[in-house]
Amino acid sequence: MATSESRFDFEASRGKYLISLDESRKKQSVSCLKKCADSLEGSDAEKKTALDQAYRNYVKKLVVGGSSCSDFTSLVHLSTEAVEAGLCSPATPFLLLTDIFDSVTISVCKDVFQFVEDRVATWKQSDFYSSGKNYLLRMCNDLLRRLSKSQDMVFCGRIQLFLARFFPLDEKSGLNLMSNFHLDNVTSYNRTKLEGPLRTRVPQAIDKQDSMDYEEGEMGSATPVDYKLYRQFWALQDFFRAPLQCYTKEKWKDFSNNAIAVLEAFHSMKLEDVASGKKKKKRRSHHRQQQKQGEEEEADSGDQVSFAKYLTSEKLFDLQLSDAMFRRYVYVQFLILFQYLNQQVKFKQAHHVLTDEMSLFIKETKDKVVALLKETPPYGDQFTAGIEHILSREEHWNAWKNEGCPSYVKEKGKTEQARPKSRARKRTLGEELNLAGAAKKIDLGSPELTKLWNVYPSNLEACAAEDRIFLPQVEEFFQDAIDQADPEAMIEPEYKVVNNSNYAWQAIRLLAKRSPHFFQTVTATNPPLKTVPGYLEYMVTKIAKELPQNEESKPEELKTEEETTENDELLKGPEEGMDKSPSAAVTEEQFTLVASKIGDSWQTLAVELGFSDDEVTAILSETSDIKEQTKLMLQQWQDKEGAEPSRETLIAGLMESGLDDIVESVFMEKQKKVELVFEEKQKRVVENGEGIVAESEPMEMDS
Amino acid sequence: MAMSYEEQILKEKKQLHMSVFAQCISPDGKYLLAGNNYGTIAVFSMRNALASDANENSRKPIFTFKAFDGAIFALLSTENFLICGGSGDIKAWKWKDIQQKAPRVAWSLSVPHSANFGAVETNGLAYSRQDNTLYSGGGDSELHVWDLESGTCKHSYTDHTDYIHAVALFNTSAQVASGSEDGTVRIWDTRTSGEPVAILEPSKHEECINNPRDKWISCVAVDPADDWLICGGGPSLSLWHLRSLSPTTVFEAPKCQPHVVLYHDDAVISAGTSPNIYHWHVNGDSKLTTPCTAMDVYSVVINTESEANKVLCSSGASSKIDVYTNFGYKAFSLDFC
Repeated sequence: MATSESRFDFEASRGKYLISLDESRKKQSVSCLKKCADSLEGSDAEKKTALDQAYRNYVKKLVVGGSSCSDFTSLVHLSTEAVEAGLCSPATPFLLLTDIFDSVTISVCKDVFQFVEDRVATWKQSDFYSSGKNYLLRMCNDLLRRLSKSQDMVFCGRIQLFLARFFPLDEKSGLNLMSNFHLDNVTSYNRTKLEGPLRTRVPQAIDKQDSMDYEEGEMGSATPVDYKLYRQFWALQDFFRAPLQCYTKEKWKDFSNNAIAVLEAFHSMKLEDVASGKKKKKRRSHHRQQQKQGEEEEADSGDQVSFAKYLTSEKLFDLQLSDAMFRRYVYVQFLILFQYLNQQVKFKQAHHVLTDEMSLFIKETKDKVVALLKETPPYGDQFTAGIEHILSREEHWNAWKNEGCPSYVKEKGKTEQARPKSRARKRTLGEELNLAGAAKKIDLGSPELTKLWNVYPSNLEACAAEDRIFLPQVEEFFQDAIDQADPEAMIEPEYKVVNNSNYAWQAIRLLAKRSPHFFQTVTATNPPLKTVPGYLEYMVTKIAKELPQNEESKPEELKTEEETTENDELLKGPEEGMDKSPSAAVTEEQFTLVASKIGDSWQTLAVELGFSDDEVTAILSETSDIKEQTKLMLQQWQDKEGAEPSRETLIAGLMESGLDDIVESVFMEKQKKVELVFEEKQKRVVENGEGIVAESEPMEMDS
Repeated sequence: MAMSYEEQILKEKKQLHMSVFAQCISPDGKYLLAGNNYGTIAVFSMRNALASDANENSRKPIFTFKAFDGAIFALLSTENFLICGGSGDIKAWKWKDIQQKAPRVAWSLSVPHSANFGAVETNGLAYSRQDNTLYSGGGDSELHVWDLESGTCKHSYTDHTDYIHAVALFNTSAQVASGSEDGTVRIWDTRTSGEPVAILEPSKHEECINNPRDKWISCVAVDPADDWLICGGGPSLSLWHLRSLSPTTVFEAPKCQPHVVLYHDDAVISAGTSPNIYHWHVNGDSKLTTPCTAMDVYSVVINTESEANKVLCSSGASSKIDVYTNFGYKAFSLDFC
């Protein structure tokens, strides 16, 4: 592999990328980057990391240089193209955007956000979406936190709308799950009788000479205020803030009185429809009509102003009453409140029930409000229709929430997805490996991991690889000891390696693993040896005796190995199965047998063999005879599997569908002897309770 | 002072049948004066009524006084005097005395009347500050011109064939208009004492006629530039161009024969035989129609004297006087009792 040949130089690649980024930006294409990437050595992932970093450095440069919005957007655009070309990781555009929004002024943010809004389709593509949704959400939230609630209303709204467009319909992250009210939103107004301009002036008035004038205060240019309505009006806001108040008797009385007074005032004070006034004029003077209409529409769309919070000064009250937009807000608040009171909401408590009287009042008042809303210019009818539409949609949302916010997407594909999913969940990694064994390629999700894994696709082979044998051969290990044990060497006993405790420990372990004499000697020597060195010495001489037949030692070694593995048939099973018959062909005869025996259960088998529901129904529609259907299915499966339909897969499928008897009867007729062994093993499997082994059992039987 | 039961009943009955025909605002804009059909004048303090802590009591008159035996039809305020027209003489009170709550008739003008009919009532009053002249019109079908300096009647215009409902003074030119039961509006040159300068007859214009028998003109108003005149009564309220003497616009208020009309800013406000106050654009389009308490509205005044108390007050066949802070809706009612 290329990776091992040359080491990837991150810093150098980043530098090269930075230079080619400059070029690409000028040309507005990623071709330069591509060339640069091709020229570099290293794995794709490493290159990607370098380019990602280069992008971020570039943004930093732009920010420090005080670049304009178009510079940023072109760079982000370039990065999306690079992602599409597979040059950098999909998260990069989002990281860039986050960096930009974190570091530029709000006015620039607004422009850049325009770009984000325009590209919502791009962000929703699955690559970008999966890697970028969290970045985008965090970015938007950061931005929202930064913005002023009263100054940047429109921008805040844009961000919210963007999030709504970006996330799926049933995304719950921004949802008010418990239907809580925004209780902090208190609208304060002049409640106290002592406040306000009137009282503060009284002391001056007392100085006046006139006997009656002591009552009078000079109020300058202040206009008269209808304080009663003023208080009634603003008191309503508290009900809109916390609608549950309406369910208490006294509060409801206040509410209904206030509502009646306010609506009466609104009803009495019809607002003048500037637009329709103009229209009437136009009717009289037919010429210039079209020209005028154009002007009018422009004027209408131009000056839309929105406020985050009501201004409650009594001095403004008069003006507010004659403001059509202001009225609309209030009407809509009424409608929302009534909608809430009428609705079945999961989070309402038992005592939150409307009395008949209340329901009647709500119904009447709602009709009144709707009528008033219709009258309110400009375009009252359309506006009302829009609001009613929105409110009716709100009912759906409410119902959705009452049902615990079920996902909309799931519902659609429930029947199709449910089964394969649950099947997939049942599989452990081991099963996955077994199944994928035939393909010799395992996808572990991440490309890097897959690459690593596929260096040695088979786990067991990898374990058996030569470089993983760490145990030294017995002879090699004991060579020193044997030499020392030779009396000719004339080595003092205390210098012998066998007296070294470390050596002795290793030696005993090695013997336990490798030597056939280990267990024999412990029990067989007479009298039993008491010290480890003594025992070792005895062993060393024993091994030394075998040494002269050096050539024979290897076969013996093998023999011992065989002996141990024979002791453990369970271990041997899968190994041999893998080696000898990974994909033994299924004969035509066997197919017919299976087809004849399987009967109704073929559909279960089909699912196990990886057929989709559609395919099954297709087969069903082909012919009504069950046998024919089964044959057809098996044929299709054969075609799918290619030239060599593996028996083990079929058997595994049969077992999985609970058709073990067929497995036995079809695949084991000729191997009665083996069958006995099989049954025995089955018992053992049950005792051990090991699923993996059970699945690999049939492979062995074929051998 | 405890009232006897009978007195109580009588008072309540009177209250029930009360009509307030006339209102006026004191020159300082702090008081509203209203005269009813029993000849009583009530003084209301606008400031009290509009205060942030106003209650029922602050919406009752500060005090009342008896001005006439019969009904009061016209009230007018000049710099120093409250002038009151009703059955019989025209009477005046000093503002100072009223403020002291000690009203005394400062002077009175006796309207000449023939022996056959007893006292003549005065329906319309107009005051010209430049030459300190008072114009009054009423039951004798004559428009009298009074010199307030000497308290004498300078002359009388006698062309009307039926009694006069309303008198309106022009703003810049020396002319006065009077609307009468005979169906005409006559415009007089105040410098001469002869024939009217012009005669408008809404009842002869098709677009104004509601019912051919209803000819009377009960209200007249002249626009600030003296180019236009609004009049109405039996015929619909109509806007007349004074140079061409032709009606240009008709203000169509169904089932409402106007009793009172006035210019305010660039709008026209009218009211009459329906419980509504109508606000109009001068082109005849309705701007606002606001409900009020009285079934018949006889008087509408706007307090233009004091910005702080700038309200619209309407009175009529009820003891309640409606106050509109924002002209769009009735804020509260003053109680004439």
